[in-house]
Amino acid sequence: MAAFAAQHRTAGPAVRLRNIGKRFGDTVAVEDVALQIAAGSVHALVGENGAGKSTLLGMLAGRIAPTEGEIEVFGQSLQTGNVRLSRAAGVVAIYQELTIVPGLSACANVFLGQTRSRFGFLSERAMHHRFNGLCERLGVAIPADIPAGELSVADQQILEILRALQSEARILLLDEPTSALAPPEREALFRRIRELRANGVTVLLVSHNLDEVLAIADDISVFRDGCLVRTAPATAWTKASLVAAMLGHAVSHAAKRRAPKGADLVLRAEGITVPGKIENLSVAVSAGEIVGLGGLVGSGRTTVLRALSGLEQETGGRLWIDGVERRWPTSPSHALDLGIALIPEDRKQGLVLGMSAQENIVLADLGAAASAGFLSERRLRDCASNAVRGYAFDRRRLSAVAGSLSGGNQQKLLLARWRHRPPRILLADEPTRGIDVGAKEEILSKLRDLAVSGLAILFVSSELEEVIAVSDRILVLSAGRDAGCLNAEASVADILAAAFSL
Amino acid sequence: MSDATENVLTAPVKALSPNRQPTTALSRLIARGMIVWMLVALIVLCRILYPGFLARENVFNILSQNAQVGLIALGMTFVMIAGGFDLSVGAIYAAGATVYAMEAKALPLPIAALLTLIVGFIAGTMNGLIVTRLRVNPFVATLGTSSIFGGAAYLFSHSAPVLVDRPDFTELGAGKWVGVPISLLLLIVVYAIGWLVLSKTVYGRSLYAVGGNPEAARLAGLRVGLLKTSTYALVGVLSALGGMIIASRLSIGQADIAGTMSLDAIAIVIIGGTSLFGGSGAVWRTAVGLLLLAVLTNIFDALALDSNFQSLIKGAIVIGAVALDAFSRRR
Repeated sequence: MAAFAAQHRTAGPAVRLRNIGKRFGDTVAVEDVALQIAAGSVHALVGENGAGKSTLLGMLAGRIAPTEGEIEVFGQSLQTGNVRLSRAAGVVAIYQELTIVPGLSACANVFLGQTRSRFGFLSERAMHHRFNGLCERLGVAIPADIPAGELSVADQQILEILRALQSEARILLLDEPTSALAPPEREALFRRIRELRANGVTVLLVSHNLDEVLAIADDISVFRDGCLVRTAPATAWTKASLVAAMLGHAVSHAAKRRAPKGADLVLRAEGITVPGKIENLSVAVSAGEIVGLGGLVGSGRTTVLRALSGLEQETGGRLWIDGVERRWPTSPSHALDLGIALIPEDRKQGLVLGMSAQENIVLADLGAAASAGFLSERRLRDCASNAVRGYAFDRRRLSAVAGSLSGGNQQKLLLARWRHRPPRILLADEPTRGIDVGAKEEILSKLRDLAVSGLAILFVSSELEEVIAVSDRILVLSAGRDAGCLNAEASVADILAAAFSL
Repeated sequence: MSDATENVLTAPVKALSPNRQPTTALSRLIARGMIVWMLVALIVLCRILYPGFLARENVFNILSQNAQVGLIALGMTFVMIAGGFDLSVGAIYAAGATVYAMEAKALPLPIAALLTLIVGFIAGTMNGLIVTRLRVNPFVATLGTSSIFGGAAYLFSHSAPVLVDRPDFTELGAGKWVGVPISLLLLIVVYAIGWLVLSKTVYGRSLYAVGGNPEAARLAGLRVGLLKTSTYALVGVLSALGGMIIASRLSIGQADIAGTMSLDAIAIVIIGGTSLFGGSGAVWRTAVGLLLLAVLTNIFDALALDSNFQSLIKGAIVIGAVALDAFSRRR
């Protein structure tokens, strides 16, 4: 392997892009990008959504054909727009949506499409042997026979990487690999990435998490509006200089902390129990307060929110809204009647992607845009337009199909929906996952605004810095139990300490 | 609205490029109108092959003959846009015909009609509850109820044709009002109301949301189960109405008239371009699908072609329409 790696290093850059550009109709997605990626390095691409990173990755993977320029892989010119040829050149992409077959074993997943056989019979032993060899090479221990569906998302991701290695990938493209992982799992993935680099594999990574990028990458390229702003070694960048390069200007933290009011408990839930997930948990949120739920992935944060919005069937517990005891909601519409609204963990779960942005916003209260049951398109538009007032959202795009909007804009639709039909209590689950820095700041500051307007907000995020920045109090969960309540001055270390305590 | 809900169907122009941006207005217009162009071409062809084709009598004939399947297809459009499917409409249609004929022997016609529509409503609601409450896949659920409703119709009529001998009974299926067949008028009125409800009301818009993403609709506070059930109830009522029309036209209520009714109704909806996966479609699409099949049948009859040949062509068109839908879904 070492010899293999050395051979690549002498062969010059792993990837050379010459004046690559991509237009979609009138839209320029990527413009005149010239970039070299050193063999055996970890190279990160950062930029706001729509800056062109994913398009660039797509062009390398052969999924998207560039409209101009050329791509060289290890000195060989690559015929673009063909996934098979890209793969043959050793370029393999791993996307956010994993392509694991849950019912097949871990080993079978790694050999998916490249099953080894003799005379038509599976060579199980040879595949197991190779599987274990690959695991060893990456320093992971995954049982070969376990059904892939029983593995954590992190391990499933490792399977994808193993699959790429098994097919002799020399350049690995990772699109937002950590967005679904908890901090310890992210750390583990970084070790794997370093392991890959040590094995001579070139890793090209797209990520929104700048701390991660600074920690793991050798070189970082910043994109803005389809153009490459600058490529420099990671050591030459700071978080602030990255953000400034991405946005074209420096920013200040928009989400400011505010003293909690204390009085006026809007939401009080006691003894929340969801069998196997949450045990005897109590939550209280005042008007104007944001309470963050801290904890690792799988600690039950999402389950708490789902239970409160009537999505967990076997929830037990007592609930008071504005001091009046209510029956526990049994469906989202019941919860909404009580004034509880949910922004779900996966925004695609909350949006009808085939419908227009404005319809998605007004969906929770179409009646507001209708008289006697008949909709008025103009009032629909007005309602939506009102709901996004003050948001960085191009109103001309209100009639665009929700599925055509960027992640950040989709998230804004969900926030705007609850501005159109204001609840008493807003449950926001990972509202900033996988969206760009600018949109993130905006969403957090809008959450703040909603709190100031008197809403009680429960907020979940895997980015603990974000939880700290935006919350008045932080309730830490560990394995479905209360692991302590921290005030706004807590640090990430405090949260992790509480989360690991059980 | 139509921009959003029909985007998935804006068809091949979009599918040819790996481009996610909205297509240009012109290409969208051409793609959306494709089925209309097909219909126009077919009508012109028919006119050439068969000069009497556009004569008033023939047009009325074509349309009123297809009133039953047209009504059922309209209901099916609602069901499919809300993400459902119903294979039992043929059985409800047959049950409607027998119930109407049986009741008409003893009761005043309006009461017999009302009772029949209630039977259709109950049957459809049953389908809806089985799908939404028991969470049985609509395909399986309505396959099952199809057998149940069909069997009930036979039992109810003692497996014998129910002859009705009263002059006013044939009004609905064969009567005319100002020279226009009553069944045709009914068809037009139902389509107009259906179009209005689906495209202009809160209820209609909610159905698109339920079919497009039931999870999102639920989180937005929509009563997904109730909305879905309502579409099954609607198609149940319209199927029973279709049964009443055929019984009236033939002066006979029979339990064995279902034939390929379910599949024909579904075929019409699909040919029109309403998606099998829910969330997109339109009443005008079903109207065009209905006309297309009706014209095709008429010309085959006029040319005295084997009806088996018709069935062959119909099948090919259905597959073509679905393949086009699948093709337009690819990026």
